[in-house]
Amino acid sequence: MSLNWLFRGGLVAYTALFFAFIYLPLALIAVYSFNSNPVNMMTWEGFTTDWYWQVLGFKTTVSEAAMYIESTGQLLAALRNSIVIAFSTTLISTVLGTALALALYRYDFLGARTYRVLMFMPMLVPDIVLGIALLIFFVNAGVHLGIGTIIIGQCTFLISYVFIVVSSRLAGMDRSLEHASADLGANEWVTFRKVVLPQLMPGVMGGALLAFIISMDDLVITYFIAGTDVTTLPIFIFAMLRRGIKPEINAIAVMMLTFSFLVASLGLYLRSRQK
Amino acid sequence: MQDAIVELAGARKVFASPEGGEVKALDNIYLDVRRNEFLTLLGPSGCGKTTLLQSIGGFVRLDAGTISIDGADMTRVPPHLRPVNTVFQNYALFPHMSVEQNVGYALEVRGIPARERREKVGAALVMVGLGGMEKRRPNQLSGGQQQRVALARAIVARPKLLLLDEPLSALDRGLRHSMQIELKNLQNELGISFVFVTHDKEEALTMSDRIAVLKHGRIQQIAAPREIYDRPANPFVASFIGVSNMFEGSIDSGSLVMDRGETLQLGRTLQDCKGRATAVIRPEQFSLSFEQDTRAGIDVTIDQVIFVGAGFELYARTRGGRELVVSAPASARDDVARAESDRRARLIYVPANIHLMPGEGGSQ
Amino acid sequence: MIASTRDRMQLGLLLGPATVFLAVFFLIPLAIMVVTSFLAPGLYGGVEWEFYPHNFGRIFGFADPAFEEFDPVYLEIFLRSVRIAVLTVIATLLVCYPAAFCISMMPGKWKSFCLFLIALPFFTSLIVRLFVWVLILRQSGPVNGVLLALGLIDQPLDLIYTEGAIILGMVYIFIPFMFMPIYASVEKLDWSLIRASQDLGAGPIRTFVRVILPLTAPGIIGGSLIVFIPALGNFIVPAILGGAKVMMLGNLIEQQFLSARNWPFGSALAMMVMSVMLVTMMGFVFVSGRRRSSMASLSGGQRGAQ
Repeated sequence: MSLNWLFRGGLVAYTALFFAFIYLPLALIAVYSFNSNPVNMMTWEGFTTDWYWQVLGFKTTVSEAAMYIESTGQLLAALRNSIVIAFSTTLISTVLGTALALALYRYDFLGARTYRVLMFMPMLVPDIVLGIALLIFFVNAGVHLGIGTIIIGQCTFLISYVFIVVSSRLAGMDRSLEHASADLGANEWVTFRKVVLPQLMPGVMGGALLAFIISMDDLVITYFIAGTDVTTLPIFIFAMLRRGIKPEINAIAVMMLTFSFLVASLGLYLRSRQK
Repeated sequence: MQDAIVELAGARKVFASPEGGEVKALDNIYLDVRRNEFLTLLGPSGCGKTTLLQSIGGFVRLDAGTISIDGADMTRVPPHLRPVNTVFQNYALFPHMSVEQNVGYALEVRGIPARERREKVGAALVMVGLGGMEKRRPNQLSGGQQQRVALARAIVARPKLLLLDEPLSALDRGLRHSMQIELKNLQNELGISFVFVTHDKEEALTMSDRIAVLKHGRIQQIAAPREIYDRPANPFVASFIGVSNMFEGSIDSGSLVMDRGETLQLGRTLQDCKGRATAVIRPEQFSLSFEQDTRAGIDVTIDQVIFVGAGFELYARTRGGRELVVSAPASARDDVARAESDRRARLIYVPANIHLMPGEGGSQ
Repeated sequence: MIASTRDRMQLGLLLGPATVFLAVFFLIPLAIMVVTSFLAPGLYGGVEWEFYPHNFGRIFGFADPAFEEFDPVYLEIFLRSVRIAVLTVIATLLVCYPAAFCISMMPGKWKSFCLFLIALPFFTSLIVRLFVWVLILRQSGPVNGVLLALGLIDQPLDLIYTEGAIILGMVYIFIPFMFMPIYASVEKLDWSLIRASQDLGAGPIRTFVRVILPLTAPGIIGGSLIVFIPALGNFIVPAILGGAKVMMLGNLIEQQFLSARNWPFGSALAMMVMSVMLVTMMGFVFVSGRRRSSMASLSGGQRGAQ
């Protein structure tokens, strides 16, 4: 009995440690983003919200030396690029990936198996390889690197993600429902609209959400094919990090964390409600 | 045959089996479903009964043969244009629709206005005993309720024929029995033909006007339940329908001579038969006796006696080692007690009541 | 099964766009990269159209004698990348495996909350999650702070810009990737088998090795695969936590493309990453294929027995 308690205590302790490992660093950065020490970010000096105001472009008492050269404008431009790119890639990859999944679900054609295997390739190819392959391709093809190439590049692997999410939804669908619909007098199109599509929608929405999140966060592939004039949010932060760390970046990081936590919680909450 | 609602002629369907060979799911089937009839397709799994049902529904395209419904050729007509509805084995209720939307689906796709639809849906739900459940979702219903929704959905558009694919197999025993009776009543009320697929012989015997017994894609016998039970066409039907005592042998001057020298006296009408045959004596056709007299009988030892409520079942063994089952009514209590204590008895039978089938082998 | 021309058109409409897109923007670029890896680098960053095996030679020891001598540094970087990826897989596995068991044993509500907490970081910015470790590990960071305050060290340690820092960073970002497949197989575990093993006289260790480990192997293998592949070619983690000191293949490739402008050599390096990935994948398909066929024969036997 006491061994059992020990065992249970161990389990709880391990789980606590596990989550501490995941979340303590994030909590730490959240706390230090309010630290007023402009020189050493990790030495607590006092509470301030200046870094946030600074990032958002308001006048603060922070001295010039403690700030990045970039203006808030650049940050917002990067954010805007990221959002434009994410919406475009989500739209394209959701349409193409869903169409592909439906084709493989409805038709048992020659080569369907090969298709299924090939669709995993863009996910499995290491992103740095895909990134440089696209770079060589676009440069050789004489395409100007920019938002267009980023959208195309991200879609190559996002189609796979959407395809896999939608396919798994389709695989879980009961084929006899379509039979029932036909049996009750609905033709193929009506069956698709009234039976297949409503059940497929959660899968499509899930795939789209996943594509959006991955697109917003993609660094490696975008990094290679962004060219010189376009910056996305992850690339902007990556560049900041490489040049040295200033307290502002804490504030940016915490705002991004908060935003993505909210979006993810909403998404997962909606999904759990559907079940 | 103008009283047939469905006519199948020379229907054939071959599937590729997973092992690489071919399975004849339908092998030259000729079948008429009469108007207002409750026809049951009975057989072990893989006998082709579901394929037969699906070919009427339009989900299986025949390799050969024709099928007509109410006089119109339906061989190449897709499912949604056939005047037939199905209650599916797993119910196949649309999970994203309410009960009302599920039941109203057939009317909706036919463009029937919402008001009329609501009335008909309500009536159908009342008919299956689910009035007031319109707004529920399928996953909020019990298995029995889902079953009723599937039924209401299939009858709401007044099909000429209702197909039921083992609809009761997922229900528990008590519920299944009451649904059997309700289904039968519903069929009388609607006045349409039901084609019912099952592998459960009790279910088939309880509900059907006629039963078609299938094996390997062929109809073995099609007849009324009593006929099937009393006069099975061959040993397969006999064993599938649950006949216990079968005797194989060859007919020789008025008696059936079995392999180990035992004989069975046959009735006068069977005197002229010849060749190999299998005889059936049902458990309740035996009576217990302890005297050696001129009546036809078999001497047996009694292995076991089981009380089954309405009477007794005796497990007996002939001198040749053949195992027999005898059922005795509760009124024969004293004889049963004696047989149990003596561990032996003589089983009296009436030769004229023996049912004789051509061919051999009780097992499939 | 394609019956009518209408079906054929529908299929074409569904398949066509994605197929063309992926052929043009996925397969062709990869093919061009393969070709490029066998071409000679041009003087000012372009390529010369001639067969030139020395890109691979620079890595494996048959460098182009006209320009350079063989330098084992590339082989070292390659081996280091493999080593770091393997260590990352092992560390992530060790962290996630017990956690999967702990969480699978929790009551339902807690369980789904914990799964949510594990999935959550996946949705947050990768770069932000890595940046956090820069703050923690650097000389003025809290780890060194605590060690100094306790008097265990007098000089701040170089925690960042080490192999250890890279592995730590990778473990941190790959936890969800490893956890989910393992958890899926742990959830499926039939606990009566474990009781059966104990009932038959096996101790906890033997039960673990003979019953639990084989039954959760699919999750372990799957998780290891999807951690190993992105770990091997990673360039973000070493760029942030490894600095210039600890270089991996990814950094080398980036350098060849964005600073050295030797695309053929960069392509050759990328081919190295690809080939390791393909070999790993084939191993995975082979292992899981064998497992599946043995499972299939088992279930086939059951069907025969019915």
